[in-house]
Amino acid sequence: MDPFVHSSLRSKHRGRISSRLTWLDNSTGNDALIEQGRRCPKGPQCHSRMSVPIQKQEVELLYKELLQGQESFRQNCDRGCRETAFIYAITSAAVTHAVARSCSEGSIESCTCDYSHQAVAPSPGPGPGLVRDWEWGGCSDNIDFGFKFSREFVDTGERGRSLREKMNLHNNEAGRAHVVAGMRQECKCHGMSGSCTVKTCWMRLPNLRAVGDSLKDRFDGASRVMVGNAGSTRVNAAGKKNRYNFQLKPYNPEHKPPGPKDLVYLESSPGFCERNPRLGIQGTHGRQCNDTSIGVDGCDLMCCGRGYRTQEVLVTERCHCTFHWCCEVICKTCRSKKTVHTCL
Amino acid sequence: MPGVIVENLSGKKLATLVAVLLVCQFCCFLFGGLIAPKPSIADTVLATKCHDSGNNSDAWFYVRGKGKCKSIDLHTLNTEDHMMLANQIVFAFQIPSPRDNTILDYSRWQQNLIGILTLDIAYHADSEMDPRTIINLNARLGYNNKGDPEGDWKLYASSFEERTLDCSIETKRDGYHYTCSFIPMFELGSLHHDFYLLNIRLPVDSEKHINERLGHIEDMWLVVINQTGGFTKVWMTMKTMFFPFIVGIMIWFYKRVHMLNREPVLLEYMLMFLGCALIFLNAPLELLTLWYDMPFMLLLADIRQGIFYAALLSFWLVFAGEHMMENNKSQLKSYWKHLSGVAIGCISLFIFDVCERGIQLRNPFYSIWVTDIGTNLALTFIILAGISAGVYFMFLSFMIWCVFTNISMKRQALPSMSSMRRLHYEGIIYRFKFLMLATLLCAAMTVIGFILGRVSDGRYKWEEDFFLEYTSAFFTGIYGMWNIYIFALLVFYAPSHKQWPSEPDVSCINNDEIVFSRLPTEPSEISSLTSFSRKTALD
Repeated sequence: MDPFVHSSLRSKHRGRISSRLTWLDNSTGNDALIEQGRRCPKGPQCHSRMSVPIQKQEVELLYKELLQGQESFRQNCDRGCRETAFIYAITSAAVTHAVARSCSEGSIESCTCDYSHQAVAPSPGPGPGLVRDWEWGGCSDNIDFGFKFSREFVDTGERGRSLREKMNLHNNEAGRAHVVAGMRQECKCHGMSGSCTVKTCWMRLPNLRAVGDSLKDRFDGASRVMVGNAGSTRVNAAGKKNRYNFQLKPYNPEHKPPGPKDLVYLESSPGFCERNPRLGIQGTHGRQCNDTSIGVDGCDLMCCGRGYRTQEVLVTERCHCTFHWCCEVICKTCRSKKTVHTCL
Repeated sequence: MPGVIVENLSGKKLATLVAVLLVCQFCCFLFGGLIAPKPSIADTVLATKCHDSGNNSDAWFYVRGKGKCKSIDLHTLNTEDHMMLANQIVFAFQIPSPRDNTILDYSRWQQNLIGILTLDIAYHADSEMDPRTIINLNARLGYNNKGDPEGDWKLYASSFEERTLDCSIETKRDGYHYTCSFIPMFELGSLHHDFYLLNIRLPVDSEKHINERLGHIEDMWLVVINQTGGFTKVWMTMKTMFFPFIVGIMIWFYKRVHMLNREPVLLEYMLMFLGCALIFLNAPLELLTLWYDMPFMLLLADIRQGIFYAALLSFWLVFAGEHMMENNKSQLKSYWKHLSGVAIGCISLFIFDVCERGIQLRNPFYSIWVTDIGTNLALTFIILAGISAGVYFMFLSFMIWCVFTNISMKRQALPSMSSMRRLHYEGIIYRFKFLMLATLLCAAMTVIGFILGRVSDGRYKWEEDFFLEYTSAFFTGIYGMWNIYIFALLVFYAPSHKQWPSEPDVSCINNDEIVFSRLPTEPSEISSLTSFSRKTALD
């Protein structure tokens, strides 16, 4: 395990990793690949690191980032702002996604089968019971294991007692809910002569980018919640699961209470316009903006009304690329003039 | 003047028998719903991308165990770092996937295996893919069994396949995935071995323009569908339970027919044919796959079901025709027009099946749907079968309509009869209508159950504990229903040995009945509805 990850993970998390995940591949060769992915070289094959985390190191890596994210956001909004909500949600979504994926690849061997039917006596854990379950009714979708693992792993320590912990739990659940909601059902008919008298369906795991997009939408429409009587945990007989069983109260009483897929936050974000070294905010001076966009990347919002400078620059870049499966990209080099807007 | 059993059965006995059969029917439904798991289950497996440093097209690339392949990651693969040929990338699937730190293996109870490929193709503005792309796959399927040395994979089948990929994309941004149709890959009629390994390559040949237009494939998923062992067990139990009952009732029926001093009539032949078809369908031949490799089992199952449906459909036609009450058709030849619809439909479906599943015996990767000629051919046969089904149902409904108008016409003649005889005939008509109703009810139940299944399929059940497994309940319920239906037909339409109880005293009351009782003396043992129709025709 990466020493930094090891030191930054709470002991509980370390326990979770070693007890719940048995990784097939313990070689360190993947670190290089991850590093490569992180640096993200230019070219059509380059994707952001977020796209598909696949290995144990990546789960750890993601978690490292979560802790770093928590650390950096602790500086500027200690009690939980919008950005914190997003970080928590995307992390829990990514863990769910990555674990489910690795189960499908067979690189985690400890994914549970989770098939329980009333006719067969429940027999958890490995052994003849598992083989019997598998032969009798097959195993559940890997997303089930990913979901449960994410609950156990990411939600460790969030007991849901304080409002902040409730917020974290809610956002973690929201992240997972988006992965599940993004799954698409596909079916195949294989009855008599291939007719649809017998049809089998399965769920296709969404691309993590699509999950990120839907979370980003929720980020924009996140609801602010507050301490309230309704925020108390409802006690029920479900035992362990009841820590997810609460309803947060909206800050504005006229708003709807947040749904399971909504992101929630407690306090408004600090201004990101001006540089504030104490809060770790860089400010937007000198950043490139898009003059046609009306979103946060648009010059009006990003430059916080300070105005922007427009320049024409000559750029050299790869263009007219043709791609050939699998590994060949042929590009030309073009020089072109580009208009660049920079915030004052 | 004996008729068939249903006419001579008292109302109380009939009600008891029907009640018992209904209870059996309900048990079949619950048997599937409570005990059996889902009929089939899909497992998604993500390909491990193996690097073939040489060009070892004969080597096996596997994911687990000693000598596993060197895996690479296509996301981070960079042009500058790796000069790799497309042919050096092998997508390897080793199934089944391990769970709970246990290496699972396929059981022979799981019967069959269907493989479907889905591709994750990333969008790049530089190399936009056509909505319809031809993809060529070099696929090799191997197997291994418990106790074999690790990595000792044996070839099951290999093929160079061409498939069509339909892809679309909503947000055209780099890195986003296309939404692509899935690719049917293989169908195995028997799951005889423990482990299977699928190696797929996507070779590029710029001279033959093979795989030139492919986008950036990031991942390949294999969805493997197999029947669940539990369902097979429940299904086999049902079949073996019904088998002796139907055999027994057939022997009883045969004896009863042959005890009579006349040749069996057409309806009785049809019933025997139907019973034999059901016996053939019920025979638990699938149990043999537990010991022998029988890849033709899927084809055989289709043929058995086809014969049964053909028998059932022809029986309905003949049944309706024999109760027309107009002229006494008693030869199969006179039904050739009606039956040709059934025959054409069944033969075209049979040819289609042999083209699809028959060729799959030689090449499991084959599918008739992937080529344009094959698709047209398959569609021709299916449309032909559809047309003959339509013609058949038109004929059948016309005939049933005729029977009912005849019955209502003859019924008007009833008040002129003595009360006892009238009651008797009304009873017969009622019982015939009752069986017609039972047939309609069975057909309607099948259709409704099927539609309900489709509706409930559409929703993905997330963390939902529903105690009844509907799909299995539907299959066992419908299967049990048709078994019970045919069992009931064999019982109710067996010739009765009971003497007509009211005949001697009624026939001497008025001459109306004397005429009637004299009439059916030549064919002494025909259905009394036919005699009734003759009588009313004479009136």
